[in-house]
Amino acid sequence: MISLLGIYRPRHTPLHRASVGFKLVLLLAATICVIVVDDPVTACGIAAACLLLLLSTAPPAKPTLRGLLLIAIMAGVTVIFQVWRGEYAKAVDTAADIVAISALALAITCSTPMEEVLDAISKLARPVRRILPPETLGLMFAMTLRAIPEAARLLVEARTAARARGLERSPRAILIPAATRSVGFALQLGQALHARGIAEEAPPDRRPRPSSADEPKHAPGTSRRARRRDTLNS
Amino acid sequence: MIEFKDAAVTAPDSGVPILDPTTLTLTEDRISIIGANGSGKSTLARLINGLVIPVSGTVTVDGFDTVKHGAKVRRKVGYLFTDPTSQLIMPTAIEDVTLSLRRIIDDRKERNLAAMAALEEIGLGDKADVSVNALSGGQRQLLALAGVLAVTPSIIVADEPTTLLDLRWRAHVGALLRALPVQLIEVTHDLDSASRADRTLLVDRGAVVFDGDPREAIGMYRDLMFGRVKETEE
Repeated sequence: MISLLGIYRPRHTPLHRASVGFKLVLLLAATICVIVVDDPVTACGIAAACLLLLLSTAPPAKPTLRGLLLIAIMAGVTVIFQVWRGEYAKAVDTAADIVAISALALAITCSTPMEEVLDAISKLARPVRRILPPETLGLMFAMTLRAIPEAARLLVEARTAARARGLERSPRAILIPAATRSVGFALQLGQALHARGIAEEAPPDRRPRPSSADEPKHAPGTSRRARRRDTLNS
Repeated sequence: MIEFKDAAVTAPDSGVPILDPTTLTLTEDRISIIGANGSGKSTLARLINGLVIPVSGTVTVDGFDTVKHGAKVRRKVGYLFTDPTSQLIMPTAIEDVTLSLRRIIDDRKERNLAAMAALEEIGLGDKADVSVNALSGGQRQLLALAGVLAVTPSIIVADEPTTLLDLRWRAHVGALLRALPVQLIEVTHDLDSASRADRTLLVDRGAVVFDGDPREAIGMYRDLMFGRVKETEE
């Protein structure tokens, strides 16, 4: 799953051209749809449509196939469980639902650059801008995604180190170093953000407007163009 | 121009001195900082970007105090870390560079063009859409450098930028750094690289014990270290 982060490739497909808002609504609508629909044939149809949509984005083959394999395993386990319970129709329906939603999520990931996601989150977070700057919220999202592969890498390294010391059966020997190194990584990431000056200054269009006290005073009747020229000069 | 006026740093909890009061004026284009592990050279470098704040005294960059005008200082001073992994935030190379540019370029298309130009300048033009997790250590360090250079700083502080790299990438990144038309302050254990500077600071046990010609500084550093080895053996 980790390899799916960074799966975006610039293309000129319809889904690439669609806005982030549309894609999020599409994902939400599809999710509601697959939950509401119980019919296995319709569920398979929706899954097929989502897979076609994923194909239409021309995703990078290797990470996508790896991701789909994991999804297929998840769906397979669900099918086995439902078949064991004797609910054959539900088995097909649930497996198709998992495939549909995962394929659609993949299609959106493949066709949406992180920049657009950041912008969308920043826009959505505008109502709470007095509590938390929207840029910061977007950045938090990006950093969460960034931290997932790193945390996985640290866990693998901790497991290898524990094995080298003959402690592979001790959860403490794996979890404690992985947790402390994760905290270390978070601190380093924070320092790097600070050093790059990210989220320190709002982008040009999001800078606070000057207060009325800072604005130049104009005589009554001054034209709008003259006011704008004065403002620019000031 | 970078000016240290009696700038001192202590450990936040214990108050143990990390860097003694230091007064320096750094004007040369190429400055190297050498010293043993834990001697305080990274702390000295971090003071320049405002990543570390002095407990007493001041550090100014072109007249801007690193404490009072942190954001302005970080616009002027780019910082390159030893481990680029913690410096890269976004999933793909181009997205990471555009993140640096968000604070200065508002238009997304312009931002992408500027990011692409920064990547091409550093020789990573063909890796623009590659996941940061798929890049080699050397390529990640180059990407971190592209992210720093994209915002056109006038000073770059590089904290052991080649320590984690193999010989090929060490030579490549080193040559790139030396060719940059900016003031470069490099913390390094690579004495060859240190010897190419215009001026070298030798830091030992939290104090700048030598400041001047690189060859003399390296000679003194060697004497200091061999003296310590003898002390340990006795």
